[in-house]
Parts: sequence; C-alpha cells; structure tokens
Amino acid sequence: MVTLILRRIAMAVPTLLGVTVVIWLLLSILPGDPLAFLLPQDASPADRARLATELGLDQPLPIRYVDWLFDMMRGDFGYSPFRRREVADLIAAAWKNTALLAGFSAAFGLTIGISLGTLAGVYRGSAIDRFVTGLAIVGLSVPSFWVAILLLIVFSAQFKVLPAGGMATLDGGLSSFLGHLVMPVISGSMVSIAITARVTRASIVETFKAEFVDTLRAKGLRERQVLLHVAKNAISPVLTTTGLQVGFLLGGSVLIETIFSWPGLGQLVFNAIAARDLRIVQATTVVIAATFVILNLLVDLLQMTFDPRQKRAA
Amino acid sequence: MALAEPMTAHSAIAAWAAVDAPATPESYLQAARRRFMSSRVGLAALAVLLFLVALSVCAPLLTSYDPAVGQPVDRLKAIGTPGHLLGTDEQGRDMLTRILYGGRMSLIAGLAPVFVATVIGTALGSLSGFIGRWVAAVIMRTMDMFYAFPAVLLAIAISASLGPGLFNQIIALSIIYIAPIARVAEAATRRIVVAEFIEAAKLTGAPTTRIIVTQVLANIFSPIFVYASGLVGLAIVTAASLSFLGLGVRPPTPEWGFMLNSLRGTIYVNPWVAALPGFFIFITSISFNMLADSVRDALDVKE
Repeated sequence: MVTLILRRIAMAVPTLLGVTVVIWLLLSILPGDPLAFLLPQDASPADRARLATELGLDQPLPIRYVDWLFDMMRGDFGYSPFRRREVADLIAAAWKNTALLAGFSAAFGLTIGISLGTLAGVYRGSAIDRFVTGLAIVGLSVPSFWVAILLLIVFSAQFKVLPAGGMATLDGGLSSFLGHLVMPVISGSMVSIAITARVTRASIVETFKAEFVDTLRAKGLRERQVLLHVAKNAISPVLTTTGLQVGFLLGGSVLIETIFSWPGLGQLVFNAIAARDLRIVQATTVVIAATFVILNLLVDLLQMTFDPRQKRAA
Repeated sequence: MALAEPMTAHSAIAAWAAVDAPATPESYLQAARRRFMSSRVGLAALAVLLFLVALSVCAPLLTSYDPAVGQPVDRLKAIGTPGHLLGTDEQGRDMLTRILYGGRMSLIAGLAPVFVATVIGTALGSLSGFIGRWVAAVIMRTMDMFYAFPAVLLAIAISASLGPGLFNQIIALSIIYIAPIARVAEAATRRIVVAEFIEAAKLTGAPTTRIIVTQVLANIFSPIFVYASGLVGLAIVTAASLSFLGLGVRPPTPEWGFMLNSLRGTIYVNPWVAALPGFFIFITSISFNMLADSVRDALDVKE
C-alpha cells in the first residue's frame, strides 16, 4: 500500500514539470518583447544589453528555463513593475481567497449534485429524473458569467438584498461573510452541479443492476438499506470527477472573481491581462495548475483508500 | 403496425414480412439518419441553430442600423422601444443589430477551434494508436500534460500571451481541445487496429499513412464526431468567456461575450438589455449540446 501511494506521488512529479515546461514555452516563444515594458522608449542598445544580461535573457532557452524553475521553487516569482510588489506576495494573498471561494463552491456543487443525482437515479424514469436530467443539460450549457449577471440583476439591482461584490472576513459577522459568498458560489458551481448530478445518476442506475442488489433484496433488506449499499458502491466515479470539477472552478474563477470583485487568483490574472503583465499571468497559471495536479493526486489517494479495487489498478 | 388490431396469423406474417422485406439491409449511416430524424429534441435543436445561423448571416438584410456606431441620445433604451426592438446599449447602438452581427463572431469563435482541434487531434491520435511504441508514448504523454491544466485557464494564458483578437482566440481554444480529441482518436484506433481488415491492408504492403486514411479514419469517425460535436457547446461558452475577459474580437466589432461584459455597468439602469447577450450564448450552447446528444444516440456510440 505504501509503495503504491509513493508510486502515485512520484507520478505527479513529471506532470508538474510538464506543466512548467508548457507554460514557460508558451510565454517565452510567443511574440512580445519582455524588455519593452521595463525600459523607457529611448533606452540605448547598451542599456538594453545590460538589462538582458541581468535578467539572463542572453542565455540559451534551456538554461533560462532551468533558472526560472529554480527561482520558482525557491518561491521567487519575480517582481511586478505594475503592482510594485513581489509576484509571490500577490499570489500568496490571492491564493487563500480563491481557495475559500473554490472550497465553498465545490462543497455546494457536490452536495446539491449528489443529492439531485441520487434522487434521479433512484426514481429513474420519473418526473424527478426528467427534471434533474434537464437541469444537468442547462447547467452544462449555461455560461457561469451570465448566471452571475442574472443574479446581480435580481438580488443586487432589483431587490438589493445581496452585496454586488467584494469579500468579507468573518470579523464582519457571519451573515456578511456568507452574503458575499452566495452569488459567486451559486454561479461558479453550476457546471459542478450538472456534472456531479449526471455522474451520480448514471453510477446509481448502473450499481442497481449489480447482482449484489438482488442478493440484498432476497435477504429481505428494506429498500432504504439496499440504497445505502448501492450508494456506497456508486460513489467512486463521482469522486473521480471531483478533481476535474475543481479544475472547472479554478478556470471559471477568473470570470466569477472579476464580476464579483473577489480578491483572488482569478482577479489577479484578469488585472494582469489588462495590464499585459505576463509575469503574473505565467506565475499564477503555474500555481493554479500545480494546485490542480496536487488536488487530483489527493483525490486518487482518497479513492485508493475507499475502493480496494483501485489499489490493484494503480 | 397498429397494436389495437387483433393479431391474426395473416397479419402476423404480414408484419414479419414487413420487417424483413427490404432486399438490401439498411446501412449504418441510413439507420443513423432514420434514428436522428425521429428524435424530436435533436430536430428542434437543429432548427434553432439553423435559425440563429441564418439570422447572423442575413444580419445586413434584417437591420439597417450600423452595429458599430450608435446615437448617443438613444442610450440605454429598454426592450420594446419603438425602432429598437431589443433596446440599445451604453453607446446608443441598436441591440438587435449587435446581437445579429455578434452571432457571427460567437459562432465562428466556437466552431472553428473544435474543427481545427478535431483535424489535428485525429491525426495525432490515429497515428499513435496505429503505430504504437515510442511514437504513441511521445505523442500521448505530451497530450497528458494538457490535462494537468484547468482548460479554461490554459486558454486564457495562451490568449493573453498571444494578445487579443479573433484569430489568436481560435488558436488558444484549438490548443486546449487537441488533447481530448487525440485521446478519443487513439483509443478508437487501438480498438480497430487489431481487426482482420487492417491486418489484410498491412499485408498488401500499403504505406502506413494510406492505411490510416483509407481504412482507419472511416472506422474511427463516429466516436470522434460524437465527441467533437459535444465539445461545440462548451467551446461556444469558453470562447465567449475569453471575449468577456477582453481576449476576443476587438471593439467595436460586436461579440456576445464582450457585449455582456461591456453592459455589466448598466445592470442598475437597463438590466434586461444587459442580460440579453448571455441569453443568446446560452441558447446556442444548449442547442449544440442537445444536438450532440441526439447525434450520439443516432450514431449509437457508447461513451
């Protein structure tokens, strides 16, 4: 078991390296002069050359990559001339806020999705099932940023019951804290609800076909007890998708955080794009991707403990 | 066969004969078309999409307003204002006109990347699946790297480094959809590569590329087509997301995602006009998703 876990952890290392290579290549090879932002228009060629040497830009590509990687591993993401701050500080502050929003969204999405999916799976073919299936298609198709704007129109503009944006800490009271979370969480977790409901429904329906269900019924178990066994066996595919969904949440966070002025990584990326501060975009993307890879690793490990069959597959 | 009729020996034979009568059995594609034509949801979705395409293509015939220029005195008119059926935006431009023209960009920005990614992903995936060995290892492990990113975020990062514009947006979205299509193509190719007709084709001494083009592609078409059609709805929304962030077409060219963002400031004065572009993104995306579901059922592909 320990070897299996270690092997799975070791498998994440090349993935993480690959992530850094992809991001680094994308932002190094693509057009754009990295010095243009840092130097005044009338800088002399000698000044340009000196700054290029200082930043290591005269080195061959592989060496620049390795330098960049080692800097990052030391926590040095460079300096943002626009924000006049270390990029690492900006990211550290924003990361917590994004984690808070993504955590609440994931919990909300999973709870609602699993509940709806289970209802649909147990009462398959019924009106509830059709409702949930329809809702899932809507959830998969609807743009999260449109839901966000609709919520803003209804709850902030018309009824003025929810704050239009920003984040509140717990110091300001629980209701203000949750009030700021409601709309970002709902609009951000639409896709999550849809995927979870779909996968849960399919898994429940599939598990009900298994032979052990007949055995349980033949043994005289009540339907509610049978459902407990089914649910336990049906949870694995749902867990598999949680990692994927966190990916949706993190990617969608750029839109949701921008709309609701949530001071997280997404807003950081958006503002950096507007200022063409690619260093922040680069670093934030690496941090989010690394978070994503590690979360997927945790989900896999969790599954190995839940489902003994996974151990053999690993 | 009418179920109400009592089943006599004669009608039973007639029914049996009717089922087995055609001399030539229905081909796979004929059966698929028959199944699709009997799907009401699929036909309805197709009708909505054709209607939207027709509207955006015929935009200059349907409206006399300029999509890029507005009348500042007519700013922020509500839906139903005479002369401005869907109201006007923050610069006094007719919303109906901008929605019609905006559909062009939104549809292109959603469809083009899926098409490009399907071509490249199919080539990479079928090559890996067919040759295997180190070729597959190199291609597919590279594809795996793309799974380590939240797709939308990767598209945003690529788009941001390329700079705004429709073309760059299409490149960014194409890149993120290549990997999943390559996976589907590779899996489908590996399933058929052991078949006898492939073995026979190899024995004729035909070059690999010709076998892939003449034998493999026809046999992996269905799963790839189904997967790609399922991506379109998502791509429409993702493309609109990029435009929303200012990474798509440049103003004043109308595009639904960007319109939604620039109207964000007007939700307190003219709320329902501000929500309109999103409604059209949603209708387009859900129609593509429903169409894709019907196509999957019609082609009888199991996911």
